Amino acid sequence: MKRQVPLILCFAFGIVMILTQFSPHSFSQGIYEEVISWTLIISPFALVLATATLIQTHVARIQRRTDHWQYSFVVFAGLITMVVIGVPFGPQHQAFEWLYTNIQVPMDATMFSLLAFFIASAAFRAFRARTFEASLLLITALIVMMGNVPVGDLIWNTVLGWLPLEDGASKARQWILDNPNLSARRGIILGVSLGIISQSIRIILGIERSYLGGGD
Amino acid sequence: MNRRIVFILVALAVIIPMLLPVSLPVSVSEPTQQLYDYITALPAGSTIMLAFDYGPASLAELNPMARAVLRQCFDRDVRVIGFTLAADGTTLASTIMREVAEEKGAVDGEDYVFLGFRPGGTQVMLGMGNSISSVFETDYSGNTTTEIPMMKEITSYDEIALLIDLASGSTTELWIIYTNVRYDLQIAAGVTGVIISQMYPYLQTGQLVGLIPGILGAAQYERLIDVPAKGMLWINIESFVHLLIVLLVVIGNIIFFNQRRREE
Repeated sequence: MKRQVPLILCFAFGIVMILTQFSPHSFSQGIYEEVISWTLIISPFALVLATATLIQTHVARIQRRTDHWQYSFVVFAGLITMVVIGVPFGPQHQAFEWLYTNIQVPMDATMFSLLAFFIASAAFRAFRARTFEASLLLITALIVMMGNVPVGDLIWNTVLGWLPLEDGASKARQWILDNPNLSARRGIILGVSLGIISQSIRIILGIERSYLGGGD
Repeated sequence: MNRRIVFILVALAVIIPMLLPVSLPVSVSEPTQQLYDYITALPAGSTIMLAFDYGPASLAELNPMARAVLRQCFDRDVRVIGFTLAADGTTLASTIMREVAEEKGAVDGEDYVFLGFRPGGTQVMLGMGNSISSVFETDYSGNTTTEIPMMKEITSYDEIALLIDLASGSTTELWIIYTNVRYDLQIAAGVTGVIISQMYPYLQTGQLVGLIPGILGAAQYERLIDVPAKGMLWINIESFVHLLIVLLVVIGNIIFFNQRRREE
């Protein structure tokens, strides 16, 4: 029963929602609009579930004294502070905005900015023209990198100014994005789309049941 | 070379151009020009939607785009409905809209409205196709959506001339799949550098009417509206970092080939 009910619901809603896409009749569209409004109500529960899981995970970390368990207290301090201010006073309250602007924004931005340092270091140590394919990748990456910043065109126009092509760095980058990149991306999109369709059919028909849990 | 030296070089490549600003010429790419032209061609009084689908981690690239687009819209009397699908982007988006509106004298509720955040992603996209006020019953300030002056004549995507998705993830593709295909909503995007390449198939098919590619696109847009700001500053800084990385890769390869030759 525990598994049959979700399977029946999934099958029924899956088939009905597919059919609504092929029928412009008001009855069919009425069902579609109704189901969409149901899903909007269900969505916020994911946030509740996520918060519960976060609490559960960090309580377990503290109880088991796993590596760096002390940082779990920082998680709770952050969570409780934002909830205590955000829930009664709203996200437009001065204190909430101050915490967001002065703590969350700099921390998030810092984490992302660190990538520049690691990418530079990794590029220096690992980006080698060992094979033909690696050389091709290396040259393409260098062209795209230089075409992505104005200094690329400046160097091109200064050093290769005698060529009939102006702003060659950005034009070469654009050609790479418009041709080899686009072709490869389209292939990936088609493959992924076919995969999504087949997986959706498997889920609707109850062949794929991993979303029910239990390793089935 | 020790990785600490690389880190110091990167830090210097960022700090020095920041202290001694240089101004490099920025040429405008076709996708950025397309979006600018599209908004320019909209009649005064049209309404666009601006989805702030990013959080603080990507603000360096996407905030300058948001400001540039908002400036162009308010200058041309194009009304803007802002909202976000990213919970951590709410305060960020609200602040940007408020600041640019104050700068341009735009009035909340008449020239723009910020609806805030709703969880659900694709459900929010589909739901607004039926009724915007059924998804966002109130705006971010708590006003009932249907009672906001500019929202009285806007019920769904039918009254929206364009949706611009400022994204750091895969939301643009979802907007295309769920709203362009089903509701024929015109879509443009401003995305971070790492996902630019994913957008090109949609540009070619016309499912994206324009694209602002990363911080370079932000600088290009600032040039188009003739208001140089952080996009211009940061693309110049990025120029030096890219140059440094290219030099590091070249040096790394010279060392690699020398070592290989000696081993042989």
